[in-house]
Amino acid sequence: QEIDVSGRVTAKSDGSPLPGVSVVIQGAKTGVATNADGRFSIRVPKTGTVLVFSQIGLANQTFTVNNNQPINIQMVDEVGALSEIVVVGYGTQKKSVVTGAISQVKASDLENMPVTRIEQSLQGRTSGLTITTGSGQPGDGATLRVRGTTSINNSEVLYIVDGVQVGGGIDYLNQADIESIEVLKDAASAAIYGARAANGVIIVSTKKGSRNGKMNVNYHTYLGTQAPVRKLELLNATQFATLYNEAEYARTPNLVTPRFPNPSQYGVGTDWQAAVFNDNAKVQNHELSIAGGNEKSTYYSSFGYFDQDGIVATSNSQYKRFTARFNSEHQITKGIKFGQNIGYTRTNSIGVGTNTEYGSPLGRAINMDPITPLIETNPAKYNAPPYSNQPVVRNSQGLPYGISEGIAQSEILNPIAALAVAQGRGWSDKVVGNAFVEVELIKGLKIRSQGGVDLAFWGGEGFTPIHYLSPTFSTTVNTYSRNSNRGLFWSLENTISYQKSIQNHNFTALIGYSAQKNKGELHSGSLQGLPVDNLKDASLGFSVPKENRDFGGGEYLNTLNSAFARLTYDFNEKYLFTGIIRRDGSSRFGSNNKYGIFPSGSAGWVVTKEGFFPQNNIVNFLKIRGSYGITGNDQIGDFRYISTVSGGRNYTLGTSAGLNIGVSPDALSNPDLQWEETSSADIGLDATLFSNISLTANWYNKKTTGMLLQIAVPGYVGNNGPIGNIADLTNKGFELELGYNKKLGDFSFRVAANGSFVKNNIVFLGAEKEFLEGQKITPQGLEVTRTKLGYPIGSFFGYRNEGLFQNQTDINNYKNAAGSLLQPNAKPGDIRFADINNDGKIDADDREVIGNPTPDFTYGITFNAAYKGFDMVVLGQGVSGNQIFNALRRFDLPASNYTTDILSRWTGEGTSNTMPRLTLDDSNNNYSRSSSLFLEDGAYFRIKTLQVGYTLPNTLTKKAGINKIRFYLMANNLVTFTKYKGYDPEIGGGSYGIDRGFYPQARTFYAGLNVGF
Amino acid sequence: MMRNKNIKSTVAIVAMLLIFVSCKKDFLELTPRGTTLEDNFYKNETEMMQGVISVYDVMQWGTTGGYTMKMPLLSAASDDCWAGGSSASDQPNWVAYDNFNMSSFVGPQGGLWNKNFSGINRANLILSKIEKSTVLSAGFKSRAVAEAKFLRAYFYFDLVRWFGNVPLILKELTPSELYTQTQSTPAQVYAQIEKDLRDALTGLPPVVSAAEKGRISLGAAKAQLAKVLLFQNDNTKLAEAATLFEDINRVGNPYGYSLVTDYAEIFNPSNKFNSESILEIPHSNNAAWGDWGWINGGEGNVGTQFIGMDSYVGDTYSSGWGFCPVTLDLVNALKNDPRFAATIIDGKALKATGATYNARYQNTDYFIKKYAPLKAYRSTIGTPEQNWPINEIEIRLADTYLMQAEALLRSGGSATRAKELLDAVRARVGLASIPATLDNIYAERRLELATEGHRFFDLVRTGKAVAVLGPLGYKAGKSEYLPIPQTEIDVTKGVIKQNPGY
Repeated sequence: QEIDVSGRVTAKSDGSPLPGVSVVIQGAKTGVATNADGRFSIRVPKTGTVLVFSQIGLANQTFTVNNNQPINIQMVDEVGALSEIVVVGYGTQKKSVVTGAISQVKASDLENMPVTRIEQSLQGRTSGLTITTGSGQPGDGATLRVRGTTSINNSEVLYIVDGVQVGGGIDYLNQADIESIEVLKDAASAAIYGARAANGVIIVSTKKGSRNGKMNVNYHTYLGTQAPVRKLELLNATQFATLYNEAEYARTPNLVTPRFPNPSQYGVGTDWQAAVFNDNAKVQNHELSIAGGNEKSTYYSSFGYFDQDGIVATSNSQYKRFTARFNSEHQITKGIKFGQNIGYTRTNSIGVGTNTEYGSPLGRAINMDPITPLIETNPAKYNAPPYSNQPVVRNSQGLPYGISEGIAQSEILNPIAALAVAQGRGWSDKVVGNAFVEVELIKGLKIRSQGGVDLAFWGGEGFTPIHYLSPTFSTTVNTYSRNSNRGLFWSLENTISYQKSIQNHNFTALIGYSAQKNKGELHSGSLQGLPVDNLKDASLGFSVPKENRDFGGGEYLNTLNSAFARLTYDFNEKYLFTGIIRRDGSSRFGSNNKYGIFPSGSAGWVVTKEGFFPQNNIVNFLKIRGSYGITGNDQIGDFRYISTVSGGRNYTLGTSAGLNIGVSPDALSNPDLQWEETSSADIGLDATLFSNISLTANWYNKKTTGMLLQIAVPGYVGNNGPIGNIADLTNKGFELELGYNKKLGDFSFRVAANGSFVKNNIVFLGAEKEFLEGQKITPQGLEVTRTKLGYPIGSFFGYRNEGLFQNQTDINNYKNAAGSLLQPNAKPGDIRFADINNDGKIDADDREVIGNPTPDFTYGITFNAAYKGFDMVVLGQGVSGNQIFNALRRFDLPASNYTTDILSRWTGEGTSNTMPRLTLDDSNNNYSRSSSLFLEDGAYFRIKTLQVGYTLPNTLTKKAGINKIRFYLMANNLVTFTKYKGYDPEIGGGSYGIDRGFYPQARTFYAGLNVGF
Repeated sequence: MMRNKNIKSTVAIVAMLLIFVSCKKDFLELTPRGTTLEDNFYKNETEMMQGVISVYDVMQWGTTGGYTMKMPLLSAASDDCWAGGSSASDQPNWVAYDNFNMSSFVGPQGGLWNKNFSGINRANLILSKIEKSTVLSAGFKSRAVAEAKFLRAYFYFDLVRWFGNVPLILKELTPSELYTQTQSTPAQVYAQIEKDLRDALTGLPPVVSAAEKGRISLGAAKAQLAKVLLFQNDNTKLAEAATLFEDINRVGNPYGYSLVTDYAEIFNPSNKFNSESILEIPHSNNAAWGDWGWINGGEGNVGTQFIGMDSYVGDTYSSGWGFCPVTLDLVNALKNDPRFAATIIDGKALKATGATYNARYQNTDYFIKKYAPLKAYRSTIGTPEQNWPINEIEIRLADTYLMQAEALLRSGGSATRAKELLDAVRARVGLASIPATLDNIYAERRLELATEGHRFFDLVRTGKAVAVLGPLGYKAGKSEYLPIPQTEIDVTKGVIKQNPGY
C-alpha cells in the first residue's frame, strides 16, 4: 500500500526554503532531496513510515507518515559548536569533520561591537592570531601575524573577501556587512591558496539577503567620546631647570654659574601633553542596511558613515569613511545560480607622524622643555627677535607660539606650532566586487566561474607654508605637493567540484584554475613658491618657474596563475582525509623558476564515533587531526630576476649648470630566483566535554626556507648584488581555545577563552652570515634590534647592564686580565657594562640579545551574558613574555625633558642601582648604548570592551511597526593592567616593540542604537 | 528541461575556454615599464651618452657608505684640519682617519672602496657597450671611449693611493668571477692607469665648450697622466711628467689655462670653470634633492655643508655642521701669507662682529673658506644641506706649476724653469722670489693648495708623513694605506687580503 507524499522544508529561523535537504525513509537506503524551493516528493511503502530529514548544520528531524496530506517541516540549527559550518578554501565544511586548524568569528559575535577597523574585531578572540595596532591614530592599520613571523621579507596574511583576493588590507569594509570571518592557520587549510598562504589566510564573507520574502531594514548608530588612557608624569619647569643644572655641574665640576641660576622662577611651566592631547575626541558611526528576497533572488544593500577624531593633535589626526554595498544572488534555473557582490569605500584622512624620534607631536610633547611657553604673551619677548624678525607661527589672536631660547634642540619644537605648519590630507576610493556563475551539470557535479576586481584610487596633498619654528626648522619658500594613484587587481577563477556519497563513504573532489593580474600607476608633483599661504588655496595649477616644479611617477605590474586540486574523503564522519596540491606561477621569478608546487595533506579521527568508545556524559565528542603542507611566497619587488637600468645617475655640465641624465644598471640579475617556501606541520584535537564545554588545541611547527635576501657580492664588483633565496626560520607553538555555555532560567551566559604560545627562531641566514642589522633609532643610528641566528626575528640587541658603580672603588676593581680598567671613563653613578666576550674591553662585541619584542603568550577572554531584554559582553585580551624598548626620551639631545622617574637617579652611594647619574656629556655612554636600561616588561592585560545593551520587548515595538529596538552603552580600552610606563604597551607598526612616542589607543565611551523595521 | 541542460553545457564550455586562454605562456612573462632593461638600452648615441654620464656621476659622490667627501676628508687626515663635528663619536670614520687608528671595520675605507669600484664597473660596462655597438659615429665613439678610460684611470688612481693592492677589473665580471678576483700590485695598477690615460689622449678635445664644461678635456687628461707619473716616485718617469706639465703650463698653451689674478676668485662660486681650472667636479641644485637615504642621487656638494660653522647666525655664511676646523698649525703657517683670507674663516673675528656659532669638537675657531657654505648660494629648493652648488677643483694650474717644478728638480731638468714656475705661483699673490728647492716647493704646496685635499698624499709620497703626522698617530708601514674593508675579505673568504698593520 504505497503512498506518495510531498511537502516543503523551511528554516525555522527565517522561513526560507531549504534546498538540498535529504529526505530518507528510516532504515532504508532510498531517499530524495528537496529542490531549490525546498519542496520534495517521495513514495513510501505504507502509513506509519518514518521519514528522516537531514542536512549539514541542521538538527535531524523525523516525521511519521499518516496520510498523503502535504508535509511542512521546519528545521532548526543543530545545537553545539561542532554542528557549525566553517568556510574553507573554495567551499564549506562541517566543523566536526575539518582536519585543518581553523578559527571562526561569526556575525553574531561582532554585532553591535563598534571598531574602527575590522581586524580589531578579531583581537583576543582567536588563538594563533596576533594583532597589534600600528598606532592609535584614526585610520592607521594593524599588524596581523598568524602563528608568528613567517618571513624576513613579508609576513602579511592573505585576505579573501567573498572569494576575491584583496590588497591593502580590509579597512575598507563596513563592519555591519560582515557575515563571518575565518582564520586558516595551517598548511592543510591554507595550502589551497598556495602563493602567500604561507603567512595564513583570513576569509571574509559578507552578508546576503533572505529568501523568506520579507524586507529587513536595519539602522545602527553610535556616538562616542575618546580620551587618552594616561599621561606621562614629566618634570615641570622648575624640576627641569634644577636637573639640567645638576647635569651641567656633573660635566663641569668647577662650574661657577649654571645654565639656570634660579630654577624656581620658572614655576610649573608648560604642560605640553595637555596641549597635544584631546580628552574629548569625537567618534560617530551610522549604518543602514536593506535586505530581502524571495525564492529565486536575494539582495543585501547597505550604507555606512564613520567619522573619528584622534586623541593626539586632533587638528591633524582625523579619519572619515563612507561605504556602500550591494550583494545579490539569483537562481536562474534549477541548476544555474548567478551572484555578485560589490562594495565601494571612500576615505578621507589627516595624519601625524607617530612612534618616531623625528618630529612627531607626541615625541615633541614628551621632549620639549617646559620652560618655553605654549604661546608667548610677554610683549618684551614677542617684540624681540626671533618673534619680531622671523615668520613665526601665530595663533588666531596674532600671538606667536613659544620658541625655545636655546634649550630645545633639533626636531624638538613647539608641537602646536609645528602642527599648524604641517598641512595635508589623504583620500582613497576603492571598489571591490565579484560575480560568479555556478552550474550544476549533474547531481553533485558543479562548475563555478568567478571574476573578481579590486579597483582603487588614492592620493594625498600637503602644503608647507613659510615659517620659522627654530633656527634649523624654517623655510622662506612654501611648497605644495600632491599625488594621485590608481591600482587595479583582477582575478579569474574556475573550479569543478564533485561530491559523492556511497553509503557511509563521502567523497569531494575539486579542481581549479586561477589567474591574477596586479598593476598600478603612480603620479606625483610639487610646486614651490605659490602665492598662497594655506592648503585650501593651493593648487598644482599655479604658474611657477620651471626650477620650482617637480613631477614624478611610477608603475607596478605582476601576474600569477595557478592550478589546484583537492580531494576529501571521510568514512561515516569518523575517519577523515584531505589532500591538496597547487602549482603556482609568478611573474616575479625567472624563466627557470616561475612555478612552484605546494602539496599538503591532512587526516582526522573522530574517536567518539568508534564503537569501542564508551557512551558517557563527560566526553561528548573527540577528534584528533594532523596536517602537513607547503606554501609559497613571492612577495618581493617586480622584475628582480633581470637586470634593469635606471636614471638618477646624473651629472651637471656647463657653465650654466645644466642637468645631464645618466643611466646605468640597478643591480646584478639572478635568473635562478625562485619561490620562498613555508612548510607547516600541525597536530590538533577538538572536543566537547560535559555537553557544554568546547575545547580545541593545536601544536604546530612552521619552517620557512629560501627566504629572499640580497646576495652579498664583493664591493669590487661595483654594483649591488641580486636577490637570492638564502635564509631560513622556524615558528613553533601551541594554541588552545575553550568555550562554556550555560543557561539558568532566563539567564544565560557564555565564556570563551583562547591562548597561544609561539617561538620564532632564525636558523640560517646564508653561509657564514650570523645576523641581519635591525632597527636603528636617533640620528646617530643606534642599533636596537638584530635578527640573529638562533634567536627570534628582530630581537632586542645591546649591552648587558650590571647595575651602577656606587663608588670609585667599584670602578677601580673592575679590571681586565691585564689589570687595566674596563671602564676608565666611568664615575660613580654610571652603568657597569658586562665584558661578555672577555676580551678585556667594552666594545661593540659585547652586545648580545637582551630581549624579545614578540610575546611568548597571547590570550583573550570573552564573556557574554543575557537576561531577559538585557545583554552584556566583556572582552579581555593580553600578552606576556615580551619586552618594550622605551625610547620615549631623545637621550641624544641633552636638553630633552624627562619623566619623573629620573627623580630616582643616582645621587650618591647607595641611592640607586638602576637609574644612572645625570650628566650632560654622558662620558660613560649610559644613554648612548642600547642596553637593558631601556627594556621594560611589555606584558599587559586589557579590558578591550565592556558593553551593556537592552532590547525593548516585542510587545512594545510591534505596536509601533518596529521589529526591534536595542540600545546600548559601551566602553573600549576601559582598563589596562601593565607595568610598562609609556602610554600604551601595545606597540605595533614598523618599529615593533620600540616606543618613541607611540600614538596610544584611546579609552572610548559609546552610546548606540539599533533599530530594525 | 532540454533548454536548461543546454544552458548548463554552454556555461561549462565557456568556462573551459577561459581556462585555456589564461594558460598562455605570455601571461607570466612580463616586461617592465618605467624601468629599462639593460639588454635593450644603449641603442643609439643619446642612450650611450646617458651611460657615459652615469660614469661621470660617480665623481660627484661624497656619501657612499657614510660621508666620504674627498677634500674635507683628506684635510682631516692631514695636518691641515681636525675631524671636528659634535664629538668624537660623531662620524667615527673621520675621527679614526684623523687619528690614524682605523681598523678593518672603522674608517672611511668602505665608502671609498665602493665608490671607486662603482665608477669602474660603470666605465667597464659602457666600454663594452660601445665596443659592441654598430650605430655610433667614429667621433662619438672615440670621445666616449676616451672619457670612459680616463674615468676608469681616475677611479683606479684614487684606489691605488688609498689601498695599494687592489683588484684590476677591466671588464664586466661573469658570475663565476664575482668572488675570485685577486689583488694586483700598485705597480701593475699604475701601469694600467698609465695605459688608460695614454689611450684617452687620442680622443679628447683640447677645449670643452661652455655648455659641456665638466667633461674631460685633453688638458685634463695630460695633467692627470703627468700627476700619475709623479706619484709613482720613479725618477725615470719624471722627465716625461715634466714634459706633459710643460704642455699645460706654458704661456699660450692650447687649452686656455692661465693663473687667475685674484687668488680668492679661483674659489668664487660665480667663477666656475675659470682659466685656472683643469679638472673640476661640478655641483648644482638641479634635481633639488631631498633624500637623506641616498644623498648621492643629488647634484649638490655635501662637503660644503659639512665644514660650515655649526648653527651659524650672522652675515655672509650659512649654517653648517662644524666639521674640519682648521688646525692652528695651518693657521700659523698662513697667518702672514696673503692667501690666509681666501683660505681660512676667522671665527673669532666673525664673533666680534656679532655673529654666533657653536664651538664643536676640536674647535679652533678657524674654518675652511674655499668651499664654505655661502648664504648667497644656499638653495631655496630641495633640502638646502644636500644641494650646495659649490664645485670641487681637483686639479688647477698652480698645482701643475708646482708639480712640474718638482718633476724638473727631481729629474735633473731645468732649474731655471722650476724657479719660474715657483715664482709665478708666489708672485700671483704678491710674494717675493725664493730659491726653487724641493723643500720650498713642498712648503709652497701646503700654502697654495691648503684644504683642497692634496696635503695628505703629498706627505705620503714625499716620505714626510711620519715626521709630520706621526705625533697624530700615523705609523709608517701601515698608515700610508687604508685598511681593506673587512666585508671584502669576508665575502671573498680571504681571497682579498688585508693591508699590513690592520
